Amino acid sequence: MSDYDFGLFSCLVVDDSSYLRTLMSTSLRAIGVGNVKTVDDGGEGIEFLQLVQSDPMKAGMQNVDIIFSNWQMHPVDGMMLLRWVRRHKESPNRFIPFVMVTGYADREKVREARAMGATEMLAKPFSVVNLGQRLLQVVNRPRKFVHTNKYFGPDRRRNQKEIPPDKCRRKINERDVEVTHV
Amino acid sequence: MSDAAVEGKAAKVPGVRFYVIRNVLKDKASGGALAPGEKGGIPIEAIQAAEAEFNKMSEDYPDWVQSLIDELSDNYRRCIDTPEIRHEKVAVIHDIAHDMKGQGGTFGYPLITNFGDSLYKCTHKSEEASDNLVELIKAHVDGMKAVISGRVSGDGGEIGQELLVSLEQAVQKYSTDDAA
Repeated sequence: MSDYDFGLFSCLVVDDSSYLRTLMSTSLRAIGVGNVKTVDDGGEGIEFLQLVQSDPMKAGMQNVDIIFSNWQMHPVDGMMLLRWVRRHKESPNRFIPFVMVTGYADREKVREARAMGATEMLAKPFSVVNLGQRLLQVVNRPRKFVHTNKYFGPDRRRNQKEIPPDKCRRKINERDVEVTHV
Repeated sequence: MSDAAVEGKAAKVPGVRFYVIRNVLKDKASGGALAPGEKGGIPIEAIQAAEAEFNKMSEDYPDWVQSLIDELSDNYRRCIDTPEIRHEKVAVIHDIAHDMKGQGGTFGYPLITNFGDSLYKCTHKSEEASDNLVELIKAHVDGMKAVISGRVSGDGGEIGQELLVSLEQAVQKYSTDDAA
């Protein structure tokens, strides 16, 4: 397996805990990520994403490749940031990979984040290996995006297993589907 | 794009639109050297360097978590001194507990995660902050102080078990419908 060089990557880390912010950014840089920006909460995250779009020189980044965001923050939490990224008309990139970092490990919360379009979940407490795995997952196994009247985000069916017709809940056929390459 | 769209046929709004996105991140990370289907990894030296940084930061964790315990103590005292804003203080304690429960295990102090998790669960109804709940908060704060002042890392062996048992006893003693 070839080794990746993440030197050209730009990542945004959003966490209201200064300790975890530093830990995450230090670990990403040590793994080789070239450019890491940290902000305090989802609101600052939105402002930064807008700044990258309007004035990349001032932002210090041409674009953001991956967002690592804590879930519970004040005043704007990770879910609100994710909603803005995926659904807001001013979002600079609705397809951006979004890793939700959270102490919520229960199934209901995971489902909630997936339904909002999170790309990956990183449960706290985490290790460097966990962090590296999420990074590789984003790079090695990108998923197509799905847009329906109820959902916009990465395809939640990671494993492309054949689903028996009587088990398939998709009430559509091929004529209802449009595929766009971006 | 669908045949219908290409041919300009009557526009039927598709039920599902798929966006297949070019994997620019893989190209960026591999310099475009990997063929479709090929996967790359993280250099082992990079993981080792990151783990070294991670471990260095972990050594400072007890000092940092002490500041959070001080915040918990301060908010606990405010629960006693100013009962009219007790529910606000319990909400603050709930948020701090959430922060702590996600961190202790990362830095070799799973007992802080245990205490943080328990405190987080018992403070989720801040509007029903009873005297029993305030006592329960104190039991958690005292336990965390013992963990950090004694540098009780890992599962803490016998001391760790004793701390968890005493926490459990406190939970049973002070739990009521509004504190559970």
